[in-house]
Amino acid sequence: MPLSTQSQADDEQYVLVASMDNARNLSNILKAITFKDHAIFSATPNGLKVTVEDSKCLQANAFIQAEIFQEFTIKEDLVGFQVNLTVLLDCLSIFGGSTVPGVSTALRMCYKGYGYPLTLFLEEGGVVTVCKINTQEPEEPIDFEFCSNNVTNKVILLSESLKEAFSELDMTSEVLQITMSPSQPYFRLSTFGNSGNAHYDYPKDSEMMELFKCTKTQTNRYKMSLLKPSTKALALSCKVSVRTDIRGFLSLQYLVRNDDGQICFVEYYCCPDEEVEEE
Amino acid sequence: MNCLLEGNCVKVFGKALHALSRIGDALWLDPTVKGLALRAVNSAHSAYACFLFSPLFFQHYSLGSGSEQGSGSVNCKLLIKSILPLFRCLTSIERNVERCQISVSTPSDRVVVQFFCRHGITKTHNLRFQESEALQAVFASHLCPNVLKAPARLLCDMVMHFPSSQEEITLSVTPLRVSLTNYCEEGKDPMRTMYTEMSLHPDEFDFFQVGVDLDLTFCLKELRGLLSFAESHSLPVSVNFSTAGKPVCFSVEDVVLEASVVLATLMDSESRGPSQPAETLAPVTPR
Repeated sequence: MPLSTQSQADDEQYVLVASMDNARNLSNILKAITFKDHAIFSATPNGLKVTVEDSKCLQANAFIQAEIFQEFTIKEDLVGFQVNLTVLLDCLSIFGGSTVPGVSTALRMCYKGYGYPLTLFLEEGGVVTVCKINTQEPEEPIDFEFCSNNVTNKVILLSESLKEAFSELDMTSEVLQITMSPSQPYFRLSTFGNSGNAHYDYPKDSEMMELFKCTKTQTNRYKMSLLKPSTKALALSCKVSVRTDIRGFLSLQYLVRNDDGQICFVEYYCCPDEEVEEE
Repeated sequence: MNCLLEGNCVKVFGKALHALSRIGDALWLDPTVKGLALRAVNSAHSAYACFLFSPLFFQHYSLGSGSEQGSGSVNCKLLIKSILPLFRCLTSIERNVERCQISVSTPSDRVVVQFFCRHGITKTHNLRFQESEALQAVFASHLCPNVLKAPARLLCDMVMHFPSSQEEITLSVTPLRVSLTNYCEEGKDPMRTMYTEMSLHPDEFDFFQVGVDLDLTFCLKELRGLLSFAESHSLPVSVNFSTAGKPVCFSVEDVVLEASVVLATLMDSESRGPSQPAETLAPVTPR
């Protein structure tokens, strides 16, 4: 593969080198979190984490483990930078982005460190394109302080059952209300729109409910505009875990299988919109 | 009112809503002992549609009992755009919905549409409605001397040739021929309009009773919904009319439902003034 014939000497200067035979394995998962232009990249020896935030209330993270890459070399414990995600996605699909079987864009992503641009080498059918994207000082991602110990309710649903509900959600509703309870209605999504309200109920014994662990009845509302982008992550995923903690913060974790069947994760954290009396 | 639809009937109900949405923005839901009537009218009162589902269509159908607050059956007026999205994707309804329950809750002014789906999932929609006078066009289609009856397929094939942007068409009938032509508004440059005409012999119709030569001009857009509904059920369509200027009625029926669309027609060209509006239907009256 032409990209791998780059000289050893070049590699010395890079603090991070990540290669993929199929750039779609990266671009597809990044599309699931592209609701804002800028993304914070954090690379560690475990792999790559890409973070996008919105109005300090919503955070989305995509995790691509080192094993997903054909090559993943990192010279420091943590390499971080910020880039324009839209520009990055445009570069990743520079060869057209059409899905012809057997043809894929190979990617080699390189970074020399602070102050340097992110360099992408993209190859398809023997043609190589080099893209250099300016990087910025990475902002500190918000710590939502969401920890397993404080989780009051957790369910894992097969994405198939939620996809339809999310695509049908009444967008005239400003909020999406999520009710989780050890008793009826168990798991409920509600909207309050111009024509009236709607409730989507998932019983705890449904075949679509892989795990149901609810300890107390909680009803929380989240801004629809913040959660709607998560529909993209849902569309890519096969399973989703929905958790709320004592404060009503929401964690959505999506299990995504890429083109080669490998597993990546996307997670969304969201603050509740307002206090709703807990029953 | 409380009714339960099963499986395939939910899709039929959805198709009826799609057809009604072609007429106007509002939907009248009128539960009666004869069945559940869904009606729509356009703003100009030149098109009216009614779908009547007999109690046999439902797995369960009951009007409110005397013990319910308020009157047993209420005429509800809803915005089509509040109920149509629930039935927008008919293929997904076919795949996922096992039963659908529709009930009218007078105390809360809500029409409740509940879908019982696969995997135990339930979707409940509470839609606001306004109580309203019943909507009913006064039109005695059985008194029309001229009647045509044809399989929906035939009519669909005929109208297929006209672009979806074509507003009005003219149905010309003589005892020997039926033709459809696009209607060109006066003032429109004939050199810039595509002229389409298609003719059929009376033998192509299942039933043909035409006494005079007539040109009926009406709005095609509002008819398409019913034709599409009729075609999906392979139902024959009856066309009842008397003279130009009087309404024309297109209707279908089977054991469990009846549907009709009544359209106003333009008066004859001889008597037409420079800017003759379409004659309205006989007044839409409260029952």
